[in-house]
Amino acid sequence: MSREALQESLSAVMDNEADELELRRVLNAFDDVETRETWARYQIARAVMHKDLLLPRLDIAAAVSAALADEAVPAKATRGPWRSLGRLAVAASVTLAVLAGVRLYNQDEIAGVELAQQSNQPGLTVPQVKGPAVLAGYNESSDATGPMASGVLQGQPGWHDQRLPSYLRQHAQQAALKGTESALPYARAASLENR
Amino acid sequence: MRAIPLLSLLLAGWFVVPAHADEAQDWLTRLGQAEQQQSFFGTFVYERNGSFSTHNIWHRVQDGKVRERLLQLDGSAQEVVRIDGHTQCVSGTLIAGLGDSPNSAARALDPQKLKNWYDLAVIGKSRVAGRAAVIVSLTPRDQHRYGFELHLDKETGLPLKSLLLNDKGQLLERFQFTRLDTADVPSDKDLQAGDDCKAVTLDSDKASAIKAAQVWHSDWLPPGFELTSSSARKDPETKTLVNSLMYDDGLARFSVFLEPLNGATVTDTRTQLGPTVAVSRRLTTPQGEVMVTVVGEIPIGTAERIALSMRTDATATK
Repeated sequence: MSREALQESLSAVMDNEADELELRRVLNAFDDVETRETWARYQIARAVMHKDLLLPRLDIAAAVSAALADEAVPAKATRGPWRSLGRLAVAASVTLAVLAGVRLYNQDEIAGVELAQQSNQPGLTVPQVKGPAVLAGYNESSDATGPMASGVLQGQPGWHDQRLPSYLRQHAQQAALKGTESALPYARAASLENR
Repeated sequence: MRAIPLLSLLLAGWFVVPAHADEAQDWLTRLGQAEQQQSFFGTFVYERNGSFSTHNIWHRVQDGKVRERLLQLDGSAQEVVRIDGHTQCVSGTLIAGLGDSPNSAARALDPQKLKNWYDLAVIGKSRVAGRAAVIVSLTPRDQHRYGFELHLDKETGLPLKSLLLNDKGQLLERFQFTRLDTADVPSDKDLQAGDDCKAVTLDSDKASAIKAAQVWHSDWLPPGFELTSSSARKDPETKTLVNSLMYDDGLARFSVFLEPLNGATVTDTRTQLGPTVAVSRRLTTPQGEVMVTVVGEIPIGTAERIALSMRTDATATK
C-alpha cells in the first residue's frame, strides 16, 4: 500500500469522512510507529486549526495495545443449535422491525402529503362546505395519495398562498384563450375555482 | 419456403405501422377542423385532483363565425362566451383582467408538428356519450411532457373524451362528454351570455407589456416548446409588475411568471394540482431578487429545470 493512500485515509478518518475500507486500512497500519506519528502530527495540525486544547505525544493506543496483549483470550463460546436458532430469531425480528419501520415511514410521508394538501387548499380555492352529495364510496382522503390528488406544497406559505392562485388562474385562462381543444383549458380554469 | 411467411410478415409490419400513424394523423386533422365546422351542444364532466365538475357547452358555426358558450352546472355558475376564439365575457371568479394578449389567436392543432414530439397511434375503438369513438393516443417521445388519450367521435371528429396520463400511465385528469348533440344548431338564446358574465376589456398598455416581457428568456426549453405570448401586468393587490411568458409544443402549455421580490424573504416551492404543476425558484438579477414561477401541464422535473434556466437581458436595455 502506498504511503500517500494511507495518509489520505488517515486524514479522512480524522475528518470523520472515512468509509469502512479506509478505516480498516488505517487500523491495520496502526501498529506501525511511523503511522502513529503521522496521526499525532495530523492531530496537532487539526488542534491548531480548530484552536483546540492540545495534548501532545499522548499515545493511548500503544498503551491499550500493550494491555490487550497481556490479557488472556476468553474461551470461544460453543456453538449449539439453540444459538443458531437465536440468531435466526434476531434476524427475523430485525427484518420485521425494518418492514414495520418502512411502512410507518411511508405512512408518515402520506400523512405529510395530506397535511400539505390541506394547508395548501384554502389558499388556492374558495372554501366550500363538503356536503354529503358525494359519490358513494368516493373517499377524497384515500385518493389523496394518488396522482390525481398530489397537492404537495413545500416551503412556507404566505407569499405563495397569495400568488399561486392568481398564477394558476392566469395560466389556465391564457391557455383557454389560445386553446385548440377549447373546452379543456376552460374546464381546468373553472376547476381551480371550485370547492 | 420458410422465408415467405417471414417476408410477408415483415412487409405487413412495414406497411401497417405507417398506416396507423397516418390514420392517427388524419383523425387529429379532423379534430382540428371539427370545431371550426361543426355546431353542437353537449354536457361534459371534468375531473382532477378530487375535483369533479359538470359543464354545458353550446358551439355554433355560422357564416364562418364560431360562437361558443360554456357554463358550469354545479357550484358557482361560471360562464365564458367566445367568438372566433376571442373571449367576450367571463363570469365571477374567472375574471383575471388579462384580456386578450396581442398574439393570442387560437392556433390550430398541427399533427405534422406534434409528430415530432409525440408518437401518434390509433389504439382502438370505444363508446362515449352513446356515440362510437376512435381512440387516438399521443405518447410523448421524451420525459418533458405528458401523454394524451383522445376518444374522437367517429361521425364528426369532435373530442368526446380526453385523458392526460403521466409517464407511469397514471391518470392526471379526465374530460368526458356525457351527452352530445350534433344534429341541432344552438339558437341565439342558447348562446346569449347570462347577466353575471362580465365583458372582457383589452389591456391598454400592450406595447409596454411586450417590451417588458421580452427582457426575459430561457436558456433551456424542452424540445418543441415555443414562446407563444408574453405580457406584463400590474398585480392589482401588490402593485408589482409581473412578467409572464407562455410556451407550448402544439398541445401542452406552460407559463413562466417573473415577479420582483422587493426584499421579501420567500422560500422555493413545488406544488402539483392534478395535471398542473407550479414550481417557484428565486433568481438573483442585477435589479434584485426575482421569483420565477413555472406553471403548466408538464412533469415537475421539467418545470424545475425551466425555472432554473430563466435569464434576464435587463442589463443590456438599462
